Amino acid sequence: MQIYLPIAELSVNIFLLLGLGAGVGFLSGMFGVGGGFLMTPLLIFIGVPPAVAVSTEANQIVASSASGALAHWRRRSLDPKMGLLLLAGGSAGSIFGVQLFTFLRGLGQIDLIISLCYVGFLGTIGGLMMYESARTIMRSRQPEARREGGMGKRKKRGWIDTLPFKMRFPRSGLYISVIPPIAIGFFVGTLAAIMGVGGGFVMVPAMIYILRMPTNVVVGTSLFQILFVTALTTFLQATQNQTVDIVLAMLLTVGGVIGAQFGARAGRHVKAEELRALLAAMVLAVCLKLGWDLVVTPADMFEVLPVGMEGE
Amino acid sequence: MLLAALLALALQQPITSEAPSIMGALTQETVEIREDFAGTELVLYGATRGLTIQDEIVVVLRGPEQDLRVMRKTRSFGIWINGSAREFQAVPRYYAIASSRPLEEIANEAALVRNRIGLDHLLTRPGETPIAEMLEYRKAVERAGAREALYASAPRGVEVLDGGLFRATLALPPSTPVGNYTAEVYLFRDGRPVASRSTSLRVEKAGLERLIYEFAHGLPMVYGLFCVVLAMLAGWAGAAIFARR
Repeated sequence: MQIYLPIAELSVNIFLLLGLGAGVGFLSGMFGVGGGFLMTPLLIFIGVPPAVAVSTEANQIVASSASGALAHWRRRSLDPKMGLLLLAGGSAGSIFGVQLFTFLRGLGQIDLIISLCYVGFLGTIGGLMMYESARTIMRSRQPEARREGGMGKRKKRGWIDTLPFKMRFPRSGLYISVIPPIAIGFFVGTLAAIMGVGGGFVMVPAMIYILRMPTNVVVGTSLFQILFVTALTTFLQATQNQTVDIVLAMLLTVGGVIGAQFGARAGRHVKAEELRALLAAMVLAVCLKLGWDLVVTPADMFEVLPVGMEGE
Repeated sequence: MLLAALLALALQQPITSEAPSIMGALTQETVEIREDFAGTELVLYGATRGLTIQDEIVVVLRGPEQDLRVMRKTRSFGIWINGSAREFQAVPRYYAIASSRPLEEIANEAALVRNRIGLDHLLTRPGETPIAEMLEYRKAVERAGAREALYASAPRGVEVLDGGLFRATLALPPSTPVGNYTAEVYLFRDGRPVASRSTSLRVEKAGLERLIYEFAHGLPMVYGLFCVVLAMLAGWAGAAIFARR
């Protein structure tokens, strides 16, 4: 059954979209990631214009992060103060990102930038995750060699401590400068606008390794920030570029909500570090695919683009 | 009904040779793009007066125009990036041509260029001599259009029926842009168009498609808020439904 998407201006099979939503939702439920990094390239691959794919995916992430953030809010496994700081940075980043997006689109280089961002970030994060989870798996196989660097690690603080404007974060039990959270928020907000991702895959490691937040509040706080940053991104893209396709977003959401529930159930049967290794493999696969497309000789040596914004 | 009218016109055609004329009409004056739009076909019917055995018919349907920028991909640091660009003004986003015989057998190059008939002449400005390099960029536009089936040519797509009637089928693909279209019919004799007529077609979004499109473009702020609120509700509803199990 074909459905015509009003903003993407494309006729797509409705079951393909529901299936994509469910598939990516399953993976995101299983791994606890937003799945934007998978969905946006897939949407572009099935022919959705990159600008519409990025903006619409932001809208879908609003839906998928809303339920998660709500659950963490109830469980109080969320640091609202830190979340608001990240959000302040994220909002600025999102506004900047949307402007940058519009500018790059005008230059005819948006596809390249999106691909480069994907290859760069997915490659880095995927590589690090793979390395880290492989090490954990190796260690868990030899139980005697137990080594907990916990106490020593906590004290070993670097340049983060030297920054001014310190603030107390009771929920996270931290006393740190407000600059790193704002900077991280800004960075992730920019990514969200350009890549059509929530940015959880950047924010969660940044919160753990840079801010040294306790892991029990990391996911909730990250979802809280993602929810509001993607909401703002959706609004800005809708206002400035008119590229949010609500029909597409809703179809993906319906599939995604269902898929995520089953994914979360499936995820419980797999060990955390193995889950991370699997996720890393998936991230690297997407990275390699996009990287390959950049390098391989294109089928058509020319790209035809409309001049200016698409008018009526 | 339409056919009957055309038939009546054809029947009053006198045997004696008179000034040749041609007319054509589409089966639809408006094409509506609705939720289930997945491309459609249009039939163009036409009639001629004074059609002789050597005469040929050409039918053109052209869509709304758009400026295009064509960029050549170049390799730098191992990756392909969009390099030097050429711009083309007012290029039809849709262009379908059908003729009773292959175009090159019907008319000479000059006549086709002058009337801007044929995919090859879509991007040529009258009086312009194409440079070899420019030609590559033009071919790229044609390929891009053909990939989406927005540019099509049917060298024998015009079916000439008895009594000076003719018929051609034109396909509108799923990616058909909205806007004003013109259908032109030409009667060629001795390599020159001796009669032509044009009629218009409108492709527009209708129903829900139109509603959403106009909402997104007319009230972008409200639309943006609406999208955000709807997504939040969907996320909340999804969690609530599954939490109960």
